[in-house]
Amino acid sequence: MAAGAPEMALAFVRRFQHMVFGIAIAVVDDPQLAEDIAQQTFERAWRHAQVYDSRRGSVKTWLGTITHNLAIDAVRARKATPVAPEDLDGLLGIVTRTPEQWALADDAASRIRAAVAELPREQARAVVMAGIYGMTARQISESEGIPLGTAKTRIRTAMGKLRTVLAPERADHD
Amino acid sequence: MTDRDCDWLRAVADELALGILPGQERAEAIAHLDRCPACREHVEQLTLVGDGLISLLPGSEPPEGFETRVTDRLGLNRPARRRLRRPRAGVAVAAAASIALGFGFGGWAVGTAVEGASAPSSRSSQPPGPPGSEPPGSEHDLLTASLLAPDHRPVGRIFAYTASPGWVYMSVHLGRAGSTTDSQAGAGSGPEAGYGSVPVPVPGSRSGGGSGSGAGVAGSRAGYPEAGRVSCRLERTDGTSVHIGAFSLDGAGRGYWGAPMRVDPDTVSGARLLATDGSVLATAHFDVRQNQ
Repeated sequence: MAAGAPEMALAFVRRFQHMVFGIAIAVVDDPQLAEDIAQQTFERAWRHAQVYDSRRGSVKTWLGTITHNLAIDAVRARKATPVAPEDLDGLLGIVTRTPEQWALADDAASRIRAAVAELPREQARAVVMAGIYGMTARQISESEGIPLGTAKTRIRTAMGKLRTVLAPERADHD
Repeated sequence: MTDRDCDWLRAVADELALGILPGQERAEAIAHLDRCPACREHVEQLTLVGDGLISLLPGSEPPEGFETRVTDRLGLNRPARRRLRRPRAGVAVAAAASIALGFGFGGWAVGTAVEGASAPSSRSSQPPGPPGSEPPGSEHDLLTASLLAPDHRPVGRIFAYTASPGWVYMSVHLGRAGSTTDSQAGAGSGPEAGYGSVPVPVPGSRSGGGSGSGAGVAGSRAGYPEAGRVSCRLERTDGTSVHIGAFSLDGAGRGYWGAPMRVDPDTVSGARLLATDGSVLATAHFDVRQNQ
């Protein structure tokens, strides 16, 4: 991919910019910072395309991971509260909403979306705080006013349920 | 590795997979994964859940101009949006020479032309031999990049051959300001695509006005009012740059120039084309090695 021409880079950016910017803006909630993160994502992906390993998932997933890591780093550098409670509720509503086109678009995504929607509210909050906003168990415990052990349990319980719907054939692994 | 280690790992696996496990614990967990395939697979499964969560985030339209800013940041130009008119003159010769360049024979194509120049380069590690005396170069040693005007319009292409004897060659077609017939140079993905409008040096052919100076050979026709004489600087990754030559553009803003010189692929980052008043006419960034 890195050996491509400018046209390839442009096509690559056009294809994924919507997804990349969507992740960045959801995590950092700041358009300017989100654009910088999105630009860094494409720069990193383009210059280090050889790092991409097709066995490890789709290009979309790979780019999403780069974006998410950069966004989490930016949020942590900002040292602000990663997410306000009302924003978290808004995001939970968005990620569990299932318009028809989403439900039909990607089977794995629709299954995990449905599974998040079925989680008890406090578990859904914990797993979104951890998985999307990159909050540590300690930050979640402070934000939710719960003991650290409870925060860890919520994350673990939620992840266990989500794992079951993603890979049911391996649910009995442990 | 003990069962206790695995029990401990399973207790932190979710946080590890989501990237939120604090440093010391993360280091211990990764050390465990390094020697425990079962736990590694467990964490990989959980990582898929993390990826799945991220995939639930809705897309969002980036601000206007985003893709341009990204390609700027990558040092890439935007491709021509329309089908550009190919000037008829010189197409066959240019295409043949450009294909030769693409596969590394351009070393002697330029070198031959340079042989007759009045001021051979003192920087050349060894003078280029006559046609056919050098083995064909490897395409892996050929760096290529589009020359982009400040408005990101592709206005030419630059090639740098990093093997020995090395050389730099560029073709430029600035076009007139506001012109709708600018060059297709740079619109292609490799030297075999595009820039058919520009005369190029080939063995036995010294076309153009011979108005180049210094170490190179150049072709142009006199009288391009907007740009006239231009100079080229090679830029290095450490931010410094070096003047490598000057040549003139013709009345349509076209010209070409080449010279033998040693090009270090590890330190060269790009090139700049400057007008006599020092203003930047075009820039190029060698991001990608030619490997086609």
